Amino acid sequence: MGFGERTVVNRTPGDNGTQPQAGAGSVGRARRSPDWLTGVIMVAPVALLIAVFFVYSTYRAVYQSTRIESPIFKPRFVGLQNYRDLLDGRFFRQASENSLVFVFTVVPVLLVLGVLVALLLNEPFRGNTALRIGMILPWALPAAVAGLVWKWIFLDSWGALNGILGRLGVIDAPIGFLSQSRWAKLAVVVVFVWTQLPLASIFLLAAVQSISPELYEAAELDGAGALGRFRTITLPGIRPMLLIVALFELLMAFTNFDLVYALTQGGPGTATTLVSYFAWAESFRKLNFGAGAAMAIMIAIAALVVILVLMRAMPKGALVDDSQ
Amino acid sequence: MKRRGRGKSILIYSGALLLALFWFGPFVLVMLASAIPEVNLTTFPAKWFRDPLNLQTYDYIFTGKVPESYEQRGALRSMISSEVRDVPRAIGNSFLVATAVMLINVVFGSLSSYAYARIRFPGRSVLFSFVLFSRLIPTVAVAIPYYLIVQRLDLINSYWALILIYSVLTLPFTTLVLTLYFRGIPEEIDEAAQIEGASHWRILRDIGIPLALPSIVGAGLFAFMLSYGEFLFGLFITTTRERRTLPVVLGGLSANTDVSWNMVMAAITLGTIPTLLLAFPVWRFMVRGLTSGAVRG
Repeated sequence: MGFGERTVVNRTPGDNGTQPQAGAGSVGRARRSPDWLTGVIMVAPVALLIAVFFVYSTYRAVYQSTRIESPIFKPRFVGLQNYRDLLDGRFFRQASENSLVFVFTVVPVLLVLGVLVALLLNEPFRGNTALRIGMILPWALPAAVAGLVWKWIFLDSWGALNGILGRLGVIDAPIGFLSQSRWAKLAVVVVFVWTQLPLASIFLLAAVQSISPELYEAAELDGAGALGRFRTITLPGIRPMLLIVALFELLMAFTNFDLVYALTQGGPGTATTLVSYFAWAESFRKLNFGAGAAMAIMIAIAALVVILVLMRAMPKGALVDDSQ
Repeated sequence: MKRRGRGKSILIYSGALLLALFWFGPFVLVMLASAIPEVNLTTFPAKWFRDPLNLQTYDYIFTGKVPESYEQRGALRSMISSEVRDVPRAIGNSFLVATAVMLINVVFGSLSSYAYARIRFPGRSVLFSFVLFSRLIPTVAVAIPYYLIVQRLDLINSYWALILIYSVLTLPFTTLVLTLYFRGIPEEIDEAAQIEGASHWRILRDIGIPLALPSIVGAGLFAFMLSYGEFLFGLFITTTRERRTLPVVLGGLSANTDVSWNMVMAAITLGTIPTLLLAFPVWRFMVRGLTSGAVRG
């Protein structure tokens, strides 16, 4: 590696603990490698592993997206044809629409419910601790398993929900929670919220708790009502955390795959086929690897754009404390 | 403390009750259903308690003894979802893979985080950003290319493929968390050690690791949990029944339209016990780590 000399020359006393040891130097030097080499050796395994996967996968994805690659046809270069076919095709547009609707439903729902749950958990009541500890259960369940659990609950003819509602006399005939488009869309939203609400609300709870109580006391003296205090103190106080939770949940919702696979398999019809599920099905169901790669690239670009936009909206240093 | 009004109390307790029902109800139903004979489970309106509850589903998973209720229908039910018998082995597979990923995270994650936080070397910040950035790309987008890498390495259907992929997916987060942690340790401590001639390897071993141990363990367990529950890659990397991981076996059951639901519920109950046991320490680590210090308003 050729940059060794440069580092040594540039090194000034006071650099992150790398100053050459004046006294012990001559002995220590002979025995061990220079600091920069130690650093490179320490980061090499992780950096190399990730670099190999990143570089090769980016290259393969781009290469493949410009080709027809499937077991049926002879592989050949087709330029941007895959992208054009996708953008023109009905199914991709349908899946994108589904994804957009899904994301812009679950994220606001999670933020509103998250704030409500955080405010609830911030109040003292019997069972508060049990609820706080127990809420990790839905979060800890793998998404594929959560989908399976809820599939049985929502199942058409003998699902738990239908069974219980029937027993209570609320309904006479089972409802097709998973076989009617509207219900199925709602079901995916409910299950997603079920798995994500714990994390969203615990982070918002931490933000609520970090607000100084004196602010509330002062506002109360000024005669502000509960709603007024929420609007002028709580909301501004948790704004950075709201943005972080929004960003995180947006990505989770956008890339959600396991849950749809286990719960609805994208059906009925294409009602719950989200883009991420569609990309998977294109590659691994239809073995159309070229189109699958093209879609993967579009998903990656869309996600990055969204991340960058939201990062800009975030106050500087909110995510990572850069002070060092 | 100020007393609150009656209306507010009612609001709080009904909210808490609703939340508890929503979050815990499904778990209660799953465990209950695993003990209900299938003929009673598939009824509308529900007649779950027509016969006494029993644990024969678990018996079947471990010993292969067919529950009585399946024979009551005259002939043996056509599909008894024999896949549920794969669950114990699948738990073993998932456990093996997740443990390996956890160890890789602990060892190599600590090493690289320490270096990013403490040692100056060429390309440090670029490399650090690159490692973090690599994780921002959705997994669905990298699924196919990763598959091709595994294919090229001739590792399809091997534990190694899963271990490599899950390491790639978890190491960026581990690196971020641990780097922030190492940065937070006062530098005077290791400067003193350096003056005495200790190498970075020794400082890491004698000072860094003991101080950061709670975070290292937390990050490791988190990596374990993600690997144990990962589904997408498990689904197409494992091609034989012997290698399937737990989420793949369970996910496969859900694709089956004529599955025996009480068996599935028993399988879920068994398979998720390890995750749920881990959940408590990981949760505490996540909440403490991500809400204190790392996040500022």
